[in-house]
Amino acid sequence: MVKKGPFYWISFSCGIMVLTFILLPLVEMLTAPSGAMLRETLKDKNVIHSIWLSIYTAAAASGIAFLVGTPLAYVLARTHFRGKHFIESIIDLPIVIPHPVVGIAILGVAGKNHWLGQFLYELGIRIMGSTTGIITVLTFVGMPFYINALKAGFESISPRLENVSRSLGASMWSTFIRITFPLAWRSVLVGLIMCCARSISEFGAVVVVAYHPMIAPVLIYERFEAYGLKYSQPVAVWLVLVCLSLFLALRILALPRKKAS
Amino acid sequence: MGTTIVKRVSAFLFILGVAAFLSIPSAFAEPKGKVVMFHAGSLSMPFEAMEKAFEAKYPGVDLQREASGSQKAARKVSDLHKPCDIMASADYKVIDKLLIPKYADWNIRFATNQLVLCYTDKSKFAKEVNAGNWYKILERKGVVWGHSDPNLDPCGYRALMVLQLAEKYYKNPGLYDKLIANRPLENVRPKSVELVSLLQTGNMDYAWEYLSVAVQHGLKYVKLPDQINLGNYKYDSFYSQAVVKVTGKKPGEFMDMKGGSVTYGVTLIKDAPNKEAAIAFLEYLLDPQGGLKILKEQGQPPFVPCRVPTDKMKSELPVKLQGLVEVKN
Repeated sequence: MVKKGPFYWISFSCGIMVLTFILLPLVEMLTAPSGAMLRETLKDKNVIHSIWLSIYTAAAASGIAFLVGTPLAYVLARTHFRGKHFIESIIDLPIVIPHPVVGIAILGVAGKNHWLGQFLYELGIRIMGSTTGIITVLTFVGMPFYINALKAGFESISPRLENVSRSLGASMWSTFIRITFPLAWRSVLVGLIMCCARSISEFGAVVVVAYHPMIAPVLIYERFEAYGLKYSQPVAVWLVLVCLSLFLALRILALPRKKAS
Repeated sequence: MGTTIVKRVSAFLFILGVAAFLSIPSAFAEPKGKVVMFHAGSLSMPFEAMEKAFEAKYPGVDLQREASGSQKAARKVSDLHKPCDIMASADYKVIDKLLIPKYADWNIRFATNQLVLCYTDKSKFAKEVNAGNWYKILERKGVVWGHSDPNLDPCGYRALMVLQLAEKYYKNPGLYDKLIANRPLENVRPKSVELVSLLQTGNMDYAWEYLSVAVQHGLKYVKLPDQINLGNYKYDSFYSQAVVKVTGKKPGEFMDMKGGSVTYGVTLIKDAPNKEAAIAFLEYLLDPQGGLKILKEQGQPPFVPCRVPTDKMKSELPVKLQGLVEVKN
C-alpha cells in the first residue's frame, strides 16, 4: 500500500468540505417537512400540475435543443473557420447573462412594440404568461449546455471512421446517421440531461416571462411569499425527489456502454 | 485643612471631567453603520431619494434597502429571520397582521396613495379611454389588462376592490365578474411594479397601479372617482363594502380582506441591529421638511403629521419620534 502523503490528506479534506457544503443545506431542507405534510402536499392539484409542467417544459426545451443543436454541435466539432470562436462565445452567452435579464430580453422582443412580437401576435402566439413562453425561456438557457456537451462528444470521435464510411460510398447524411450519431449517442444523452437539468432549475427568467402557469420553482416562490417557509419546503422536496430520480435513471441509462468500452 | 479642600476640589473636578468625557460620545455621537430596510416596491423611488438626502446628512450611515411585495418583506423578518431595522409596508395592516406583537411594537401610518388604471400610447383604445368608459374598454375582447397577485401584493387585492366598488358606483350589477372573465390568470403578476415593464414593452395594454408608480414611471393613467379609487379615507365606509378573498395562513385556507383607503405603515423591528441609526432615519422620514416632502413630490400624499391609532402606541414609540406623530384613528 502506498503511504498516504499530505497531498492525499489535503484532497481528502477538501473533498469532505465540498460534499458537506453541498449536502448540508439540502439534507436540512429535505428533512424539514414531516411525512404528513409531504403527503398532504401531494394531494394538492396545483403542486402536481406545476411539477408536471416543469418536467414537460424542460423536456420540450431539450427536444428543441436536440433538433436544432445537434447539427450545429457537429459543425462546430468538425470544421474550422474564421469567427468560430466568436460563434462559440455567442452560444455561451445565455450561461453568462443574469437570469432575470434573459426574461426581460425575451419580453422585450415578444411585446407588440417590437416587430417580432407584432408578427407573433398576428399569428396568435403569445409569449407572456404562456407555456410557449416558458419553453422559449428554457430553450434559451438550456441550449448552450446541450451544444457544448455534444460538441465535446463529437470531437472525441475520430474523423477517420467517417472518412472510411465516405470512401466506401456512403453519403454525408448516411455517414452521420449510421456512424457518427450511434457513436455519439451517450454524449447526446449527457447533453440532454444537462440541458434538462438547467431548464428545470430555472426560475429568474421564467418568473419574468410567465408567473402563471406556474412551473414548480415559481410555485415554491409563491408558496414561500404567501404562506412562508413551512409550506414551500414540501413542494421543494417533491421537486428535488422527482428530478433526482429522473436524472438518476437517465445517468444509469448512459452508463453501461461506458463500462463495455 | 487647605490640602483637603484642594483634594476635594480636585476630586470634584476629576469627576466632572470624567462625566464630561463620558458624555461627549453620547451627546455628539453620529449614528453610523448600516441600516437595513425592507419595504414595499411602490416605495422604491421616494426611498431612493430619501436615502440620498439622509446619507448626505449622516455620511457614516449606509442605508441598505430591499424592495419587495409588502407581504414578502414581512415574511423575510418573521419566517427567514433576516436581520432588519426598518420595515415599511404599502398596507399598514400587513405590519399589524404579521409583525406585531412578536417582531414589532408599533405601526406609524405615514402616507396615502390611490389606484389608477395605467396605459401607454400604444395600448389598445388608448385614444378613447377615460374615467367614464374604462370599464367598458376592459370588457372588450383582445384588450390585455392585468393586476398583481392579490395573495402577495396589496396592490393586487386593491385592484380587485376597485372593480367591486365600480360595480356598485356605476350601478352595473355583474360588472366585476364580466371584467374578471376578460382577464386570464396569465395577466396576474407577483408585484405591481412588474406590470410597468409589460406595459412599456407592449405585452400588456392596461395595468392597475398606484398613482405614485404611474407618476414616477411617466405612464399615462385614468384617474378614477374618489368613491372607488381607495385614496380618500372619507369614503372608508363605502370602500369597506369591497371584500376580496385572499389566501390565509396555509394552502387551502382563505381570509377576507375588506376595502379601506391605501395607507402606508412603517415600523422598527424589535431586535434591530442598528437601532440608533434606524431611529435617525425614521426621524428624517417623518419630518414634514424631510421624507414627507419627498413623498408628496412623488405622488404619495403623506399624513402631516403622521398617525398612530392609540395613546398607548404613541407612548411605546422611541422618544425622538413621539413629537412627530399624532393620535388619530
